[in-house]
Amino acid sequence: MNLFGLMETSGSAMQAERIRAEVVAANMANAESTRTEAGVPYRRHHVVFASDDPVADFGEAMHLGLGRSSALQQSEPAGGVRIAEVVEDSAPPLKRYDPGHPDAGPDGYVEYPDINPLTEMVDLMGATRAYGLNSSAVQAEKGMITSALDIVRG
Amino acid sequence: MQIGTKLSEQLARYLDLSVSEVKLTASNMANIDTPGYQTKGFDFAAEMGEALAGIDKGRIAPLHVHEVDGLVTRPDGNNVSMDREGLHLAEAQLRYRTGIALLRIENQRVMDAIHADK
Repeated sequence: MNLFGLMETSGSAMQAERIRAEVVAANMANAESTRTEAGVPYRRHHVVFASDDPVADFGEAMHLGLGRSSALQQSEPAGGVRIAEVVEDSAPPLKRYDPGHPDAGPDGYVEYPDINPLTEMVDLMGATRAYGLNSSAVQAEKGMITSALDIVRG
Repeated sequence: MQIGTKLSEQLARYLDLSVSEVKLTASNMANIDTPGYQTKGFDFAAEMGEALAGIDKGRIAPLHVHEVDGLVTRPDGNNVSMDREGLHLAEAQLRYRTGIALLRIENQRVMDAIHADK
């Protein structure tokens, strides 16, 4: 059993939640973007989380390097979380009448991304909370490692 | 000659199980937003009993991890409860610290025996 493996689990979640917060920030920043590289209005992005198999960590690599199989680690359940993909929302763009806008269509309507600041803020809050939860888990794990080191210190 | 005592063996299993519990809790916490993820856990008392029985046979019993039932499933199929995981993390941490403290006392006892002539 590897104490440091715990930190990788919580660390993967912190990383995933941070990416989620970044995606939300990008959505809010682009709430009014009528142009993207593809020439269409920006589309709302969201992340898809998937639980991850235990990563081949240092301990496991060491076991393999020493020619020992780690039966204990193989029986362990899935570890952390990863971002499976970042998908684009399929919702149609919102249309606003603004004939003077350079991106207005022939009918005078401009297509804006369908981004609701409220939804984004709630998502951001969720990401912040989950990030905090996992960072307190890291704190707990650090405390455990420190107390294990105290045995040697006597 | 064996320096480790039976109690220290038992404490080692106890610490192993505590770490497993923290690991499961951390993994549940990590997947708090994963659609379809089900909370995982194990029966500490039963696993501890099995681990203690395994000491004499010199083997480490495999852990029986199962999905925890009785939790409220959210619309995305995820049933991780932040409160449950937070509580479990605190509990497992205290268990671990207790184990460490006991192990230190046990090691001190062995040390005292070594230095008994002084």
